[in-house]
Amino acid sequence: MKNIYRLNKLIALQFILLLVIMGSCELEELEFPNGPTEGVVENASRADIALIAVGVEHNLRNEMGFYYDATGIIGREVYFFTNSDPRYTGEILGKGGSDLDPAGFYGTRPYAGRYATIKNANLLLQALDKSNDVFTDEEKFGITGYAKTLQAYSLLLAANLQYENGIRTDVIDPDNLGDFVAYTDALTDIESLLQDGADDLAQAGTEFMFALSSGFTGFDTPTTFLQFNRGVAARVKLYKGDKTGVLSTINDSHFNLTSDPAELLDGPEHYFSTAGGDLTNPVFRVPNAADPLVAHPDYTADLLIGDTRINKVALRDSEAIKDGLSSDYDVVIYSSLASNIPIIKNEELMLIYAEAHVGTNNTEAITTINLIRSAYGLTVYSGGTTDADVMNEILYHRRYSLFNEGHRWVDMRRLNRLDELPIDRTDDKVHVQFPRPVSEPD
Amino acid sequence: MKHFLLKASLLLMSFMMALTVYAQDRTVSGTVTDLTTSEPLAGVNVIIKGTSTGTITDINGTYSVELKASQNVLTFTFIGFVKQDITLSPSQTTVDVIMEEDVTSLSEVVITGLATSVKRSNLANSVESIDAKSLVGITEQPTMDNALYGKVKGANITSNSGAPGGGISIKLRGLTSINGANQPLFIIDGVYVDNSEISAGLNVVSAASGGGSQSNQDNPSNRIADLNPYDIQSLEVLKGASAAAIYGSRASSGVVVITTKKGKNGRTSVNFSQNIGITTQLNKLGQRTWDADKAETHFGANGRAAFIDAESQGKLHDYEKELYGEQGLLLTTNLSVSGGDEKTTFYTAVTRKKDEGIVKNTGYDKTSVRLNLTHDITDWLNIEATTNYISSSADRGFFNNDNSGTTMGISYVGTPVFAQLFADAEGNYPDNPYAASNFLQTRDLVTNNEAVNRIIVGTKISARLFKTDKMSLRLIARAGLDNYNLATTAIFPNTLQFQKNGNGLNGVSIQGNTVNKNTNFNAFLVHDFFPNQSLSFRTQFGITAENFDQNTILGTASNLNGSQTNLDQAGNQQIDQNRIIQKDRGFFAQEEVNYEDKIIGTLGIRGDKSSNNGDANKMYYYPKGSMALNLHNFNFWSVDFMNQLKLRVAYGEAGNFATFGDKYTFFNNAIIDGTPGWVINNKRGNGNVGPERQSETEFGFDMSFLSNKLKFDVTYYIQNITDLLLTADVPNSSGFTRQVTNAAELQNKGIEIGLNWNIINTSKFNWNFNTNFWKNQGKITKLNVPSFTTGGFADFLGQFRIKEGRSPSEIVGIGPADQQDEDGLVVYGDSEADFNMSFTNSFTYKNFELSFLFHWKKGGDNINLTQLLSDFSGTSYDYDKIDLDPEGQLGNGDFRQASFLNTTAPFVEDAGYFRMREIGLFYNIPRTALKDLADIRIGFTGNNLINSFKYRSYDPEVSNFGGKGLSSGVEVTPFPSSKRYNFHINVSF
Repeated sequence: MKNIYRLNKLIALQFILLLVIMGSCELEELEFPNGPTEGVVENASRADIALIAVGVEHNLRNEMGFYYDATGIIGREVYFFTNSDPRYTGEILGKGGSDLDPAGFYGTRPYAGRYATIKNANLLLQALDKSNDVFTDEEKFGITGYAKTLQAYSLLLAANLQYENGIRTDVIDPDNLGDFVAYTDALTDIESLLQDGADDLAQAGTEFMFALSSGFTGFDTPTTFLQFNRGVAARVKLYKGDKTGVLSTINDSHFNLTSDPAELLDGPEHYFSTAGGDLTNPVFRVPNAADPLVAHPDYTADLLIGDTRINKVALRDSEAIKDGLSSDYDVVIYSSLASNIPIIKNEELMLIYAEAHVGTNNTEAITTINLIRSAYGLTVYSGGTTDADVMNEILYHRRYSLFNEGHRWVDMRRLNRLDELPIDRTDDKVHVQFPRPVSEPD
Repeated sequence: MKHFLLKASLLLMSFMMALTVYAQDRTVSGTVTDLTTSEPLAGVNVIIKGTSTGTITDINGTYSVELKASQNVLTFTFIGFVKQDITLSPSQTTVDVIMEEDVTSLSEVVITGLATSVKRSNLANSVESIDAKSLVGITEQPTMDNALYGKVKGANITSNSGAPGGGISIKLRGLTSINGANQPLFIIDGVYVDNSEISAGLNVVSAASGGGSQSNQDNPSNRIADLNPYDIQSLEVLKGASAAAIYGSRASSGVVVITTKKGKNGRTSVNFSQNIGITTQLNKLGQRTWDADKAETHFGANGRAAFIDAESQGKLHDYEKELYGEQGLLLTTNLSVSGGDEKTTFYTAVTRKKDEGIVKNTGYDKTSVRLNLTHDITDWLNIEATTNYISSSADRGFFNNDNSGTTMGISYVGTPVFAQLFADAEGNYPDNPYAASNFLQTRDLVTNNEAVNRIIVGTKISARLFKTDKMSLRLIARAGLDNYNLATTAIFPNTLQFQKNGNGLNGVSIQGNTVNKNTNFNAFLVHDFFPNQSLSFRTQFGITAENFDQNTILGTASNLNGSQTNLDQAGNQQIDQNRIIQKDRGFFAQEEVNYEDKIIGTLGIRGDKSSNNGDANKMYYYPKGSMALNLHNFNFWSVDFMNQLKLRVAYGEAGNFATFGDKYTFFNNAIIDGTPGWVINNKRGNGNVGPERQSETEFGFDMSFLSNKLKFDVTYYIQNITDLLLTADVPNSSGFTRQVTNAAELQNKGIEIGLNWNIINTSKFNWNFNTNFWKNQGKITKLNVPSFTTGGFADFLGQFRIKEGRSPSEIVGIGPADQQDEDGLVVYGDSEADFNMSFTNSFTYKNFELSFLFHWKKGGDNINLTQLLSDFSGTSYDYDKIDLDPEGQLGNGDFRQASFLNTTAPFVEDAGYFRMREIGLFYNIPRTALKDLADIRIGFTGNNLINSFKYRSYDPEVSNFGGKGLSSGVEVTPFPSSKRYNFHINVSF
């Protein structure tokens, strides 16, 4: 017995020793197993930088479905009837005088999506700056020009949502975000960021060191990407009312006066696909679905006879009714979940070009409009030639050519004509802008 | 030498005690030995019952005591051993007693620590112990957690839906975390058991996270449901940090310690039981009475025509009956064999369970096999092994919120009775013109299955390293493994209305595979020291290591090739992988002091570090201390009718980890046009994230009257939770949308009262009555971020608000300006109950037993969106009833729609209920009637047979978002809950 106790005391001593050893051992910091952490930016390889660059284009599409739906509904272009969420026919249309919710997903998610793109581009710029791998100057300018252009485009859409609430344009340091700047100042910042990007792209040689999707076919070299950059710049200048600026910029873009319906659509696009891991077109809905995206009844009512843009909508088998609203037409702009969505079409550049001539050269504006009319099966413009007449005509084509691409509401707002948008139910109202997201303290 | 001193003092003590005994009629003597070691036990108290006089055993375990003629009962007590009363025959002068270690007597011993247990009468905490009889004795239980309803004071248990196979959330003493898990830690025979809810990836079809809410609404079951309630010998619920501090950083939501059955030395016993039952929908709602005008109002001219056609052809259908009206068959078979000899015992059991649901093609099928062994290698070395294999399969249907209109729940509420959804003779289902899905087709063709293969193994080695007459040192080492494979299979064939012809993705097959492996290793030294017969010390020191590794691979294929469902038989595939790895290391030390069972004090500390914390090597410390005062054991105690009065106070701290990954900012893989890229995740990592810390102080008293026939206990607790983790919104312009931070403090205060009264106890008739009352009130005491709303869909649909000075479960919404507070919101309720009460009555009359358990939840509100969604299609059952509109003008359906976007008031409803949770009537066939061959017990039982509530839906007990965080009590077209009727037969040999 005594021997056993002695043996056991020995075991006990050993155990205590073991405890001391185990207690002092370090627990290793675990690598995050599900993906690279932000730390990759500190010492990124060429391959890492190419991956982050591709991520920027991927993010460019992020939450854009909400952007198109919400701006289209407020702009009285479309309705979305769904059993799952009553807000689409509720507060977005200002039902009963209701306001938009600062926490409403329809406003916060597209806003956050734009800034996620900007963040990815900032990380790209930081990674490039800190990388120990070798890059040629041309490669570096390619990356910075690409990043700045897409940041500027994203800021522009954020400004479209927030309008007079202003936006932050300096968001490099998440712990020290820049102040909100007023809408017009934001446009100036965007314009200058575009110019920086353009300057970089001009020195970026003949190819990018990363891949762009086929959505950017024709715009996937620094030279052609620069055209896209200038197209966006023309849009910004138009929003600013800088018509001279528009005309001096637009020729460096992919602007091309044409009446060929296919060439009207030239321009970079958001790529969509049903392939695994990719994103599908968020605006596409199957015709005659029970949860349909339908055209506002005025779309067909106001359309000129013979205008082939009737093809953007299709007559439903039965009328869609929801919440006191109804429509006979589905929105069929896109044919499938794999259809691309245009970012800036030649058609829009032509309309920008025409609008920039209103008041100075209405004839040139009308000539341009007639190219578009002809492309859509309409006879030449025979209306009045006053500035207001021509502007109305341009607005008509902006409405139908850019249908549900996020323009109608923005156009009516910048032209102070929101009160002309139809009110479908008593006490509905047209919102001027999205409230500043609840996450953004002043 | 020192032995001599001890011997001398013991002898002296005995002598002095003996002197206090009066004139004697006889002397009784004997030896007391330990059952497991057969060695003599020194220091055992030998008391003459009914007096305070007696003696203690000496070093050889012998004693001698003098009794008067009128005295004939001796009580033997020794810490850690079962108390024994020995009645002497008039002439008896020798009594040798064998004392048994107090491990089986569950009402007496409570397992509160990692290695040791405490006599309940010495416990300083309110710890609930549930034994096998109250777990599964009244009625058959669908899952283990289901069996706890109403039986644990302070536990709020909510069934997330009625889908077979579980999905239950347990909250102990209110909300203890807003962000992280509120679920207690489950430990079974020393094994840390995983209780994950793992999503089956249904979002690709339901798009539930596509709109306002980004959380998981897949309605998965929680993995604790795998456990077989029949194997459980006892279950202890440590409700807060004061009791659970020794479990450290995982224990702030409480700990449920489960001990499974072990064999006993002696005759082999065989027990067979069979349950047969049915389950039906608990509460049918029906649909409003339609007419042609109403049909036109809601569905236009086509609606009118459809109604007129359907009515004239007698084709108005009760789709509720069609969808939820199945009478599911419930079958449970259990066979257990246990026994053993002096060295080895065993318990083995097989349980087969096959439950059908109230929706066709749903059900739960489980096989559980258990083998528990104990073996004494030598007199000082014992090993114990517990092994449990579980194979289960749950078909859960397709319910809850979506943004695609496709779940059965959503499409059901969108469909009026005049819709024609039945398949034709060839099996072709017509499209549902009123919703995105023909739910009958969905029911018949969709698969949503969770299949689990799980093995839980625990090993325990106990060694008594040395033992002297004053002290002993034991080593207890434990290793545990919980390893399971969960296969989720969700198949949406391309013939479905919402998958064919370009609707949806032309068929989706989602196959998930999760491998979960938890291992834990603990080793403890327990040192018991008895310097004299009135004092004892127990010192423990231990180290713990827990490793968690969960790897989920989810394959999603769409554009399926015809009826093929393999992932490779499809046009598009996507693979997602998510790994969760965590390593925790810790130690603990504890000192217990017991003075004559009169004053029992404990001090302890646990230290923990974890790879989940911002700094993996930072040690977090959790102290505890407690004291119990057994006034009835003091000499001055002379209250005859009251045989126990214990005052107790306990303090402890415990933690709760941040969710895995909260400390990292990381890139997700993203593919565009076949090229992979990296996109930054929208959650910003927080390198400083640490565990939440709960400090709890608990006060209480236990009283017993009338020879323990009436027991009464009251506990009051205050919990302060600091470093509360919040998923705070961050300015979206940073490129991130959220970040987890330790940014708030929460306080819970509550009271728990228990009363147990054995009202009648005769040889023929026994009536036992038990009632529990519990109430908790939570308050956010500090908030470092602006107040925010969360846990629902949008403010106007009702959300929970986190705001300093307010209850964390407060429900707010929009409303009239004059009712708005400074946030512009109106408070409409609180999901926390005003109080809960449960009442259990057990009657035994001859061979009959009748037991029933009522549960009353007073108050507590839900956000009920099912009726609103129904209103939009005019299908709600109370659409035309007028009892909501204060002006008595509008029907409820119109009133709710008119309120929509103006006020949230009608969507927040009282979710209180009064229900008979369990009832069981049994008859025990006398053994004599069966020639002593077997005991046979037969009975009829039921769950949820009586229900009373005002709530306007299937059941106020519901959760769209599963068991996580705040969000219980949000309802969106769930799988309706059910009631169960069972017939039982139990045979034991």
